[in-house]
Amino acid sequence: MTVAAVPIHRRGSERPAPLVDPGLFGVYVHVPFCLSRCHYCDFVTYTGMEGLRRPYAAALLEEAAMAVAALGPEPPVVTSVFIGGGTPTLLPPQDLARVLRRLRELLAFAPGAEVTVEANPETVEAAMAAGLAAAGVTRVSMGAQSFDDRVLAALGRVHDAARVGAAVATLRAAGVPAVNLDLIYGGPGEDERSWSATLEAALALGPEHLSAYALTIEPATKFGRLVAAGRMPEPDEDDLADRYDAACAALAAAGYRHYEVSNWARAGHASRHNLTYWRRGRYLGLGAGAHEFDGATRRWNLPGVPGYLEAVGAGRRPTGGQERLDPDQARFEALALRLRTAGGLDPDEARGLGVDPGGPGAAELRTAGLLAPGPALRLTERGMFLHGEVVARLA
Amino acid sequence: MPTDLSRLRNFCIIAHIDHGKSTLADRLLDLTHAVSERNMRAQYLDKMDLERERGITIKAQAVRLAYAAADGREYVLNLIDTPGHVDFTYEVSRALAACEGAVLLVDAAQGIEAQTLANLYLAVEADLVIVPVINKIDLPAAQPDRVAREIELVLGVPAADMLRVSAKTGEGVPGLLEALVRRVPPPTGDPGAPARALVFDSLYDSYRGVIAYVRMVDGRLAKDDRLRMMAAGHVSEAEEVGVFAPEAAPTPELAAGEVGYLIPGVKDVRQVRVGDTVTGAGRPAAEPLGGYREPRPMVFSGLYPIEGDDFPDLRDALDRLRLNDAALVYEPESSTALGFGFRCGFLGLLHMDIVRERLEREFDLALITTAPNVAYRVTLETGETLMVSNPSELPPAGSIQRIEEPYVAAMVLCPADYIGPVMELCQGRRGELDTMEYLSEERVELRYQLPLAEIIFDFFDQLKSRTRGYASLDYEPSGYREADLVKVDVLLQGEPVDAFSAIVHKDKAYAYGRAMTAKLKRLIPRQLYEVPIQATIGAKVIARETVTARRKDVLAKCYGGDVTRKRKLLERQKEGKRRMKQIGRVEVPQEAFVAALRTDEGGPR
Repeated sequence: MTVAAVPIHRRGSERPAPLVDPGLFGVYVHVPFCLSRCHYCDFVTYTGMEGLRRPYAAALLEEAAMAVAALGPEPPVVTSVFIGGGTPTLLPPQDLARVLRRLRELLAFAPGAEVTVEANPETVEAAMAAGLAAAGVTRVSMGAQSFDDRVLAALGRVHDAARVGAAVATLRAAGVPAVNLDLIYGGPGEDERSWSATLEAALALGPEHLSAYALTIEPATKFGRLVAAGRMPEPDEDDLADRYDAACAALAAAGYRHYEVSNWARAGHASRHNLTYWRRGRYLGLGAGAHEFDGATRRWNLPGVPGYLEAVGAGRRPTGGQERLDPDQARFEALALRLRTAGGLDPDEARGLGVDPGGPGAAELRTAGLLAPGPALRLTERGMFLHGEVVARLA
Repeated sequence: MPTDLSRLRNFCIIAHIDHGKSTLADRLLDLTHAVSERNMRAQYLDKMDLERERGITIKAQAVRLAYAAADGREYVLNLIDTPGHVDFTYEVSRALAACEGAVLLVDAAQGIEAQTLANLYLAVEADLVIVPVINKIDLPAAQPDRVAREIELVLGVPAADMLRVSAKTGEGVPGLLEALVRRVPPPTGDPGAPARALVFDSLYDSYRGVIAYVRMVDGRLAKDDRLRMMAAGHVSEAEEVGVFAPEAAPTPELAAGEVGYLIPGVKDVRQVRVGDTVTGAGRPAAEPLGGYREPRPMVFSGLYPIEGDDFPDLRDALDRLRLNDAALVYEPESSTALGFGFRCGFLGLLHMDIVRERLEREFDLALITTAPNVAYRVTLETGETLMVSNPSELPPAGSIQRIEEPYVAAMVLCPADYIGPVMELCQGRRGELDTMEYLSEERVELRYQLPLAEIIFDFFDQLKSRTRGYASLDYEPSGYREADLVKVDVLLQGEPVDAFSAIVHKDKAYAYGRAMTAKLKRLIPRQLYEVPIQATIGAKVIARETVTARRKDVLAKCYGGDVTRKRKLLERQKEGKRRMKQIGRVEVPQEAFVAALRTDEGGPR
């Protein structure tokens, strides 16, 4: 997939800065319900609260109308939709279909727009899969996390490895065009062998897209509390780097392109929705805790479902907060986000962000093997895993 | 009006920290109604907050007590307070020189301690009459008879002559006032001779300038007299003279025998040093009083602002502190690792801590302090001699003929049960035993010659921990001795870090090198490149550690909902990078310097 970067921000006679990619406009819909909370997860999500699910689905429709109205008379064309969570597939497929239908009524969709729904393996069954396909879902992103049952249990997942294979088969049979599998490495009980077995098992299912994440300990999680109490070690930096290297090698050998720090895809299957974030495209955010970006301001919804329902019920957007970036922050953010991607920044774009792509800082990073040779600012695979250091040196 | 000399008593109190000196002083003030109830606060004599917190008297003070004795006469008792720490031995000796008598105050539960004994010897040498007092007799753990035997042995005074008091409850304190009047002789001195006043302390007041605490020895000094400082040579006019009752109260003049203050109208304590003699400029004395000595720094350390921008503020702060601290010396220096700062000389470790704390507390400065060191006397092959107080300035080994280091004569008092551990500690610090004497069946006095460098780190802490807190220490300089000393440098990726250089004894160089490299390996974060940490003597590597290259520094996930939070994390990382010190290609966090140079956590030596 190629995305054109059209300059929209000019400073004097300088080259345009790639601050915002105007060719991308996404819609994110958050569904904050889960069967149980995983030990590493600090997203906005609720276990239980079955009674709130239907009113929540209804409120999403209301909020969509309000959000689109705020875009003005000529809203941009939608290039992607992502229904994430939580576990969106805890809502009945008709409800998800209704949300997508409402969005199509309110907004123009680009031809071939990417429509992703997140699912957890334990929720995938035939009727649901058929419902998603019928609703125009082009992609299902599934939280597989591991193919080692011991690791899955340690992560607090409620499914086993076998269930993942079955879910993929169900989605394929129902005609879902593309599947992503999420994996986590560095979790408790995992070792080098179980991680390569997980990579092998994932590849055997032939997903179009794979995300592999280094386990991150967030404070407000079970793992966070265990680590703080000294009852669980922080993931070891060298172990994580070894697993990352193993993933890079295995996935490259299987023909996947490593297009972002934690993301790999077969040709033509990079996630357009996620690229929208890294290229600073605009996006709407619907649902409790959802974030949106209009090219200048970041805005987010109230995280709690009751507060969300109350605001929408009263005919207001449930704004929880917002932040308008100053030019320095915007440039810093653009640099940090774009460097996450394999595309990086071409020399003019880099200069537009105030970074000399041929300067001593970049040269040292090239010598150290973190930036690829050539005039552009592009991270090598090793460089991607040291993204923070590179940004701190270049910004 | 001048007091009749026969009605004057000048005395001080010699006591160990916590043996109750300040409480006893409070009680004396109570009994003589020197302080109104409203102004009474615990430990009246200790002025600075820092002293109140640490419970140590740093600056000597004087207070005048009016006492109606049993013989029906009014007496004036001048209590001169003395500092209670080894760093300030010289100040103690000057305060003693201003007195005719000394109260030896000993805790009934603890017994006599090393500093007390050292100060007691000073007092005996100065021909003071000693009034032994056993304090805290109200404590359940009190053993006044045992303590009395100890004092008897040390002082040769019969136990019957010792007073037993509780400064806390006031028991026995009236008897002490009587004893002072009866036993301490009145001052002698010639009121008609040319004026000579001993400065036993001085302090700086932002309104009045320098205030000198003086004991008039001969003659008299009045307001508006022209004054001459006999050692400093400075001439000025007496703006005010007076006594402490206990607040400063102006009087027309001070006459021979009296203790009081004078305000000479100068702005720098250096012009009115402790030990100097004040005389009248019009009719000067021929000879100054004996015993004057320039303050001599013993311990040196580099002080650097953590924020380089704070350097001018640090200079201002030191200039201000110096107004009040004649013993503080400093000169600017620069370090490749730490930037611009000052090499400061202190009387001792406590003095250093006090200065550092005051800089941080009163001037709000964040500082990096290099490891304290002593001044070495270096003789070059050319025969030239120089003093080196900054290890990184030691000339190359090849050009050095010999290095000498300062020694101290140390006295340790401890219960006999702990002789073994104490000797072991002193020998481990290159100490040589001079004498060992039993003060009683249970307590022993050990005298050692020790290199000063060996006791400025954690010697005192070690002594305390090996004797469960029962040992006490005192020491005084005893000259320089040649020693087999080497400079150990610490290199990061081949670049020497001057702040970590140290001069150590050859036998300890490896241990120092290993400890320092291991410590730095823990403190230096992983970098883009592998960082070898080496300790070297000249070109020879004596210890090596490696910080392996960083492999992961990335936020695994960054999607639409995370951008703000993740951007802030990266901004913070970039800000953190900006605050790091660059040593060659190696980035060292400020905290690593602070932690590596800290000596209170089982420092490298």
